[in-house]
Amino acid sequence: MSQNEQTKMSLGRLIAPSRVLVADKYPGKKELIEALVQAVCRDYPQLDPAYVASQVLKREEGISTTLDTGLAIPHARLEELTDFAAAVAVLRQPLAGENELPIRVMFLFLSPAKPTFFQQHLQILSALAETFKPEFIEELVSLQDSREIAARLVR
Amino acid sequence: MKNASETSAGLSRVKKVVVLTTAMLTFIPFWKAAAVVLCDFGSSAFYAGGIAMRAFGPAFPWYILAVMLFSGLLLMLELEACSLFVRGGAYKIVREGLGDTAAKLAASALIFDFILTGPISAVTAGHYLCGLINSFLELAGFGLELPESVVSVAFGMLVTLYFWRQNVKGIEESSSKSAKIIAFSLAVCFLLAIWSFITIALHGAHLPPTELHFSREALGWAGHIDWMQTIGLVGMIMAFGHSVLALSGIETLSQVYREIEYPKAINLKKAAWLIFGFALLFTGGLTFLSAVIIPPDLIATKYYDNLLSGLAMSLAGPNFLKLLMQAMIVVCGVAMLSGAVNTSLIGSNALMNRIAEDGILTDWFRKIHRRYGTTYHIIHLIAAVQLVVILLSRGNVYLLGEAYAFGVMWCFVFEVSAIIRLRWKKAAQKRDFMFPLNIKYENYYIPVGLILLCGALLTVALVNLTTKQVATVAGLGFTAFLFAVFSLSERLNAKRANTMFEEGYRERINAETVDDLKEAFADLDRPHRILVAVKDPENLYHLEEVLSNVNADDTDVIVLYCKPVENVLYRQDMRSAAVDEQEVFTAVIFMAEKYGLPVTPVLVHSNDAYYAIAQAASVADAEEVVMGVSGRYGANPQIERAVMTWGAVKDQDLKHPVTLRILWEGREVSYRFTR
Repeated sequence: MSQNEQTKMSLGRLIAPSRVLVADKYPGKKELIEALVQAVCRDYPQLDPAYVASQVLKREEGISTTLDTGLAIPHARLEELTDFAAAVAVLRQPLAGENELPIRVMFLFLSPAKPTFFQQHLQILSALAETFKPEFIEELVSLQDSREIAARLVR
Repeated sequence: MKNASETSAGLSRVKKVVVLTTAMLTFIPFWKAAAVVLCDFGSSAFYAGGIAMRAFGPAFPWYILAVMLFSGLLLMLELEACSLFVRGGAYKIVREGLGDTAAKLAASALIFDFILTGPISAVTAGHYLCGLINSFLELAGFGLELPESVVSVAFGMLVTLYFWRQNVKGIEESSSKSAKIIAFSLAVCFLLAIWSFITIALHGAHLPPTELHFSREALGWAGHIDWMQTIGLVGMIMAFGHSVLALSGIETLSQVYREIEYPKAINLKKAAWLIFGFALLFTGGLTFLSAVIIPPDLIATKYYDNLLSGLAMSLAGPNFLKLLMQAMIVVCGVAMLSGAVNTSLIGSNALMNRIAEDGILTDWFRKIHRRYGTTYHIIHLIAAVQLVVILLSRGNVYLLGEAYAFGVMWCFVFEVSAIIRLRWKKAAQKRDFMFPLNIKYENYYIPVGLILLCGALLTVALVNLTTKQVATVAGLGFTAFLFAVFSLSERLNAKRANTMFEEGYRERINAETVDDLKEAFADLDRPHRILVAVKDPENLYHLEEVLSNVNADDTDVIVLYCKPVENVLYRQDMRSAAVDEQEVFTAVIFMAEKYGLPVTPVLVHSNDAYYAIAQAASVADAEEVVMGVSGRYGANPQIERAVMTWGAVKDQDLKHPVTLRILWEGREVSYRFTR
């Protein structure tokens, strides 16, 4: 099975409709990350939303996780996780901050911190970037609601 | 200018692609390197014997042979010096080991000998040529003889002027040409040796005497010191000192070391062995045969300036064949000696450049020729001094020979002392070669062999001070003058010197802007490719790891530097932290030289280094992408960003797996793209 096919399967596992946000406009990147963290933490009670958000934002201070395709993949590796978790936001209006590329889709991606998961973590990051090309992002933006987007993500 | 590549998003990330080239990324096999050295070092065969004969009589071949055996020790010294990889030859080694003052003194002395090597070689070539013409005129019964001194001066000046022009133009003699000259010389040597043995078999021969008969001028001031003449060993050292001019050109090995191909250390040893063997047979062997075959009175009166021609004309056989043999010797001699003239210009120019780079000389010396990009002021100066020396010598090779050897001996004394000092100062540095005879004590190797060599060199150099009056007066005078010029210039230049010293050495790199990445990699022809991304000249651990493990026969190594251009992705602090590309690539070339492996340096102007790396790797069809760790972000965020970018750029299946590696001090993070 190719890396991409594996990732599509993972996407299906990772994204439930409850973890797909659709919004016209968001005040900022930080707020959007926090909203996505909340969405994930609802399904993972062992996770503390404030702590998770702080870890993701800390990573964001480093090398940018936004690609010029319009996809942002804020991520963090957490001791509390034993499997991958994710939430996605599709924005009708691009989110653009100072010194930042405009974001159309934000994919919050959380991985277990154990080193054995690191290769898969990288594999998913790469496959996400490959999957979320501009045409695909445009298609997602045009969809009506989170259920449709979730269905499209696993198709 | 076209944009180089487009991302799948249709956005251009690579703004400009520049392919960098430098002569220093062309590496040569050991035998070519040996040929370059031998074109200079081997050329002393044409004059050393004659000069030694005039100095201390018919025992000269023993001493020339002894000097050639001694050259083996000096080659081993050069091996250890080169293994330290202190760029800049003896001058830099001495500076590293003994400090600035000693380095300036050593450089001043060495420049004196470089300046003399040109005239002595050029004038000798003139003598050989004139000798051939005169032999022909005599054989043809013209009853005419050309004046050797006039012809040799005229020819010497012509050769010097020719190479002065070539050096100003920056046209370097190819190592292939040197190899051809040496191959021809070897054939001539072989023929001459066979014929000499036939002559000995027909006419019989005696071994040369060992008694020394010093001429008054060869005794120099020692003629007034009674005790020196009563000790036999002192006489032997004096004779040895008069023969060390046969070492002329041996220092060229440190100049060509940079160019020797991988595996560098092994090839350097092979080159040294080849140089030693050839010099022993060619200079030592032919000088010996000359002394055996040519009657001593003829050497003293007719052939002292063109000994090997004398050997040819003294062989058994018909005159026309002997003349043909002489012609072959002259062709070989003129080619080698002219090569030595060129090497003397190149060597002294390179040495003066190293000194100027350290801020010791004012900018006037480093002025670059507008058209040819050479340091023409230095070349003009050296050539002018050489021309004056040729004129002043009036074609007298003995006088030039007597003046020679001051610099080379004292420079070797400084160099060996510096290497001894570095055994302590750089005890931890790995050496591919160590001069033999060492005693291990804790973390140090006490260099017994080097100390003995230093003692031997110092003894000969000190004895030469008393016997070689011309060398002592001219050498001390010139060295003192040049040292004063360096010191004064350094003082006048003090402020500028500090800046230049901080700037350090910059490699001369030719930059050619190409249309796209594909064009940049068009010349790569090996089946495998590794792309190494560089950023910081101080952080090239990953490049070193690649170069020390790569199979250069089937793998091209591309070194990519992404220079940031203004964009939202690069904050102002990152743009201002970008390093000058010349500094980066100077460090890269230095590393490539260290391993003797060619690399393809490419500079791209991009607003996102990760995109540029991914695009370049994709276009180059690289199987491996290697990056150094970022001290600011760490390896994990780097590899995360790299795999994300790779995914965004990739729009078709891979032809083969690609491994992305981030390397730092013994550690590695990697990811393998399999599709």
